[in-house]
Amino acid sequence: MSEQWRLLQTGYSTAFENMAVDRAILVANSRGAIPPTVRFYGWSPPAISIGYFQSIADEIDLNACDDLGVDYVRRITGGGAVFHEDELTYSIVVPESHPKIPKNIMKSYGRICGAVMNGLRQLGIDSNYAPINDIVSRGQKISGNAQTRKCNTVLQHGTVLMDVDVDKMFLVLKVPNEKIKDKLIADVKQRVTSIQRILGTEVSFGQVARAMKRGFEEEFQVELIDGTLSLEERSLAKQFEKECFSRKEWNHKR
Amino acid sequence: MQSRSVYKVPQGKLLKISLEYDTTNNVITNIQITGDFFAYPEEAIELMEIQLKNTTLEPEQLQKKISSIIAEYHIEFIGLTAEGLTHGILMCRS
Repeated sequence: MSEQWRLLQTGYSTAFENMAVDRAILVANSRGAIPPTVRFYGWSPPAISIGYFQSIADEIDLNACDDLGVDYVRRITGGGAVFHEDELTYSIVVPESHPKIPKNIMKSYGRICGAVMNGLRQLGIDSNYAPINDIVSRGQKISGNAQTRKCNTVLQHGTVLMDVDVDKMFLVLKVPNEKIKDKLIADVKQRVTSIQRILGTEVSFGQVARAMKRGFEEEFQVELIDGTLSLEERSLAKQFEKECFSRKEWNHKR
Repeated sequence: MQSRSVYKVPQGKLLKISLEYDTTNNVITNIQITGDFFAYPEEAIELMEIQLKNTTLEPEQLQKKISSIIAEYHIEFIGLTAEGLTHGILMCRS
């Protein structure tokens, strides 16, 4: 019998809630309280998440976000600014010592991205891992990923783009040079893609989730068993949302 | 003197530096290191920013200081290097 990991499908939540839940799973797993966990989730309302090291003022047009009802949050992981709307977001939490997770961070990025790529293959989409943290299909980015390691535990989360609206993205993301904004938008349109763009047909979150579930199971040779957040995780998530992710001190720290 | 730089680290990520330095002796008084790179542990960046205060903006001294901070706190960078960080900071010098 293959090893069993937990699968959480937490549906659509706010940016603060989503980041708080990922962090709660990380902490609970580091305490040995829950098994390795794969989670699929969505963002409602749409939101921008920025990397831990990014300057919020550099990356986000805060007024535009308020006007358009787009949330924003700082992640605990590094990496870039991401606009979350029509996507499946995954996270995986697993002990650093787990034999299926490479000790080397770069290699572990590749391994976990391999699971996402397997999931895309289930949908009929070929893709490649583009180090450091991207997955591309036909040379265009379809997934971005970010990893942290805390308390000897790995948390990696990433996007799987179902559809992408680059024009809307740039209403809320800042650009380095306003004068070349049109050119930049045109450039990004060439460099990103989505499941719907490649397949030429709409896909549902459920379809993508089923494909990703098989992808993770095959890549790691585990069985993903549907589960729910524990009481401890729910409590931790509420605490992290309140004390960290919803706070201006956190989101505007740099 | 306040200054900023944006530097695409070769084969790496984007690094943005916000620097305050004393022009009389070229010494860093305040620094903020931002960008879309990865660093482990993440909190080490704040340590790096504190430790870089009072460092002279001279290539060899700066690189040596950055390398010693990396070693002391066992920092691992992905998408950023000590050389890249040195270069990005020095770009702020007028």
